[in-house]
Amino acid sequence: MTIRHSLRLTALSAALTAGLTAPSWAQEDMVTRSRVGPADAPNSMSFRLTAFDLYAQDPKTRATFEALYLDMLKQFPGWKIDTQLQTNDIGQEQARMLEQARAGRGPDCAMIDSSSLGAYRAAGVLQPMNASFSKAEIDDLFPFVRKAVTDDQGNLLAYWWFTDLRVLYRDTRVVPEAPQTWAQAQAAGLASAKAGYEGLLFSGGRWEGTALDWLGNFWASGGDLVDAEGAPVFGLGENRAAFITALSYYADLVTSGASPARVASITNYDDFLAAAAAGSTAMFVGGSWQYEQLRGTLAPEDFAAWEVSELPGPSADAGATGAGGWTIGAMSDDPEKVKLCAAIAKLYAGPGNVAQGLLPTATAYYKASDVFSTPTNLAYSKFLEHGRPRPGVAIYPEIANQIEIAIGAVLSGGDPAEATDRAQQAAQSAYERL
Amino acid sequence: MSRAADPSRAGPWLWLGPALLVLGAIYLWPLLDAVRLAFTDATLLRAPTRVSLDAFAAVLSDPALPGILRVTGIFTAASVILLQALGLGIALLVHRGDRRGLPGMAALRALVLAAWVVPGIANGVIWQIVFSEAPFGGLNAVLAVVGLGPVAWLSDPALAMLSAIIANIWQGTAFSMILYYAALKGLDPALQEAAKVDGASALDRFALVTLPQLKGTILAGSVLVTIQTLGTFDSILALTGGGPGQATEVLSLYTYNTVFRGFDLSRGAVLALLLAALSLAAAALYALILRERR
Amino acid sequence: MTGRWGDIATYAALALVALFFLGPLAWLVSLALRTPAEVYQGAAAFIPAHPTGANFVQILSDAAFGQYLWNGVKLSVGGASVATLCAAPAAWAFARLDFAGRAGLLWAILAVQMISPLVILIPLYRYFDALGLLDSHAAVIAVYGAIGIPLTVWLLSAAFARIPRELEEAARLDGHSRLETLVLITLPLAAPALAAAFVLNVVMNWGQFLVPFVLLGSEKSWPISVAIYRFAGSTSASTTQLLAAACLIALLPAIAVFLALQKLLTRALTGGALKG
Repeated sequence: MTIRHSLRLTALSAALTAGLTAPSWAQEDMVTRSRVGPADAPNSMSFRLTAFDLYAQDPKTRATFEALYLDMLKQFPGWKIDTQLQTNDIGQEQARMLEQARAGRGPDCAMIDSSSLGAYRAAGVLQPMNASFSKAEIDDLFPFVRKAVTDDQGNLLAYWWFTDLRVLYRDTRVVPEAPQTWAQAQAAGLASAKAGYEGLLFSGGRWEGTALDWLGNFWASGGDLVDAEGAPVFGLGENRAAFITALSYYADLVTSGASPARVASITNYDDFLAAAAAGSTAMFVGGSWQYEQLRGTLAPEDFAAWEVSELPGPSADAGATGAGGWTIGAMSDDPEKVKLCAAIAKLYAGPGNVAQGLLPTATAYYKASDVFSTPTNLAYSKFLEHGRPRPGVAIYPEIANQIEIAIGAVLSGGDPAEATDRAQQAAQSAYERL
Repeated sequence: MSRAADPSRAGPWLWLGPALLVLGAIYLWPLLDAVRLAFTDATLLRAPTRVSLDAFAAVLSDPALPGILRVTGIFTAASVILLQALGLGIALLVHRGDRRGLPGMAALRALVLAAWVVPGIANGVIWQIVFSEAPFGGLNAVLAVVGLGPVAWLSDPALAMLSAIIANIWQGTAFSMILYYAALKGLDPALQEAAKVDGASALDRFALVTLPQLKGTILAGSVLVTIQTLGTFDSILALTGGGPGQATEVLSLYTYNTVFRGFDLSRGAVLALLLAALSLAAAALYALILRERR
Repeated sequence: MTGRWGDIATYAALALVALFFLGPLAWLVSLALRTPAEVYQGAAAFIPAHPTGANFVQILSDAAFGQYLWNGVKLSVGGASVATLCAAPAAWAFARLDFAGRAGLLWAILAVQMISPLVILIPLYRYFDALGLLDSHAAVIAVYGAIGIPLTVWLLSAAFARIPRELEEAARLDGHSRLETLVLITLPLAAPALAAAFVLNVVMNWGQFLVPFVLLGSEKSWPISVAIYRFAGSTSASTTQLLAAACLIALLPAIAVFLALQKLLTRALTGGALKG
């Protein structure tokens, strides 16, 4: 049986069994709010996860993952998983977990946001998972992913199980052609504003999404955030010019009227869905995963009109997009727990991604399931050629913080050059102290 | 029971013991530890390696600090003034209503008090919904009905500050109101009557009779409200996250961001001490004024 | 400005006040009763055409939500108990005993209130970690207790001071010890103030965010104030109506308790101690 078949079968059987037997599990109490597996299992591993899968609000997703977990646990008789949820306040949650891990009180295994991975690596709290992943599996990871999760000795420090990217969403009834350049995006935004819409929406408030969504523009302009040593250099030399150009793009969108001023207060991807559902916008910069949410939110005939395209760049041939996603890493030095942790990572990377329609990080998975060969997903995998992850350095969260501040400043009329220099200076002094 | 077994013979310390023990363990010890951390180079990522004044230098030379202090000053001053004025105003109105036997006064008091017990995070979430600038959003949608707006409640830096202050007064007014309400109840009505007999107007009676008697309450209320406001950050965190830019990033939120986003424990400790110093300064000022009066 | 015109002006001004304080809550109720489609209709749907309880049902059917509420109650009541039990004897000593440094110590205790929990939280985190108390409700209860002690001491010492000394002296003349006098005479007389201080602590603790957020790692031990953060910004499609329902459920218990005991609390808060 090929990987392709086994993956599909696992997902299918999980979905089926979920539908059929969910009530009986509840009785057996194999999956509770804080545990997966038998309550009396002699061994337990703690695992900190987000609320999007096993504990999702959506009952179908939840049931699918309950089945996948229990299926996986069959390979680990005598084990249970003590689950701990983290909030959506990713930055704070990740910092707090790091503090716990450093004190030796962190979870045995955890979901770590790809942007925080650098801090965890720097703190030396991650245990290699080489025993559970072959060299071929590691080599098959997208290059930007592999670089982030392996160290100089080739150790796999965490498994980056899905990625995402930022794309431009548009209502083709209002904006028929996908804008490829900033100038076209601005023109399209203005045209939609004239037609009574809000214009091009994007995140501009104080939260991580603002930085990540914008970074594609900076990278497409030829900028780099950090140098080879991991020191912030985004406001120096040629990077400075790129930073100013990309900041000016956002500022011009608002001053020209192509984007509403309220973008400076957007701190949530939900706002885009709400605006699309309310019919108040025809264009927004959103996350790749929002396509499926849009399907669930809009009426079918409206949804059919929406399309995704690559983020516009300074010119048609220069494009880049910020790639995010989550990793799973082990922080216990018990080899059995590391193995269980790796098994969880594989669960998410394989059937988990199939069930949720998230973008895998290795080419083998794309070949393995039809789910990933929809037109949208094929387009995404092509856009990912221009995908760039956030640098895996401990200073990144502070850099992102400074980017958010700089964007907020220019959106309310601040000078881009001045905002750039302030951000560089603040990031540099924070870097020196870290 | 014999006198020897009487615990109060052991002096006050037996009585004070539990409170002092808990305060010492939960406040004093960590406070000393925070002072110690301020003199190190500790970060969230590693233990301190040396003793230094670098964190102090970093805070003092931080180009963002003047802006943060300005935002903190505006937020605190405006909040305190508005909270006190609104609290006194409502207390006077309700007090008048009470004296005239007007119905509905208790309900109004209850309404104001209800806002007081809303958790800070929920307060931020509620006002974020109210101030939403989406075309279908809260207050703007209401204003649109009467042909006003849209108002950039959260995206304009100056208005975002105003919005944060409004959210803060919504929650905090109850405290000032109770203080003044009780103080008004405790006033000697004979003085009012005497002034009335002397032919003083309502405004004169307020300025010359009522206000001087409330001086102590105003001072006590001001210091308590100042300290509460300086420590406020959960509602701002949920409302604006400190944005746009740093327009609403008050010192307590900045401290929180420094520790939890910048991982900079020692600089965070210095900022936290600065926050404590500002609160103590406000309290000292209050104590001084009080002493002058006596 | 007397008579009817004054009354009308009073009502007019109070109507504005009521609008300001009621507005956000009314909007929240309106949103919580709407279907997702109606959320996008803005003010036009202020009174939803098809009010739905589905949002409340969805929140309340989440077993975790009950847990959050229970955790909130447990932490708030536990913290209030610690604060009241520790503060009462101290307050009595401040009100009745003469000792060197009395005024200075009272000021010192009040000064503690000036220190934001933010200052002490990171050291506390390491502290509780070393004691193996992280993620335990006991640690959070202790911190809530400490946060509540200064104000409670202040309120209670004023309440004790208001009890006529003569009553206690009479009991002493009857041959009762100081402790007996305290238990038989003073505490019963101070009971309303004690109860009020206790409830006030409960209500204050209910809104605490930072302390449980930093000290409680696992989701199952969170109080509602932290959990509400989870509903703010979940990735599922537009959830404003759910968030509104969750918010309402989170604040109703505090409001209900507070309003039920309003008289008692107002009296305690204003028992003369704050008049300077």
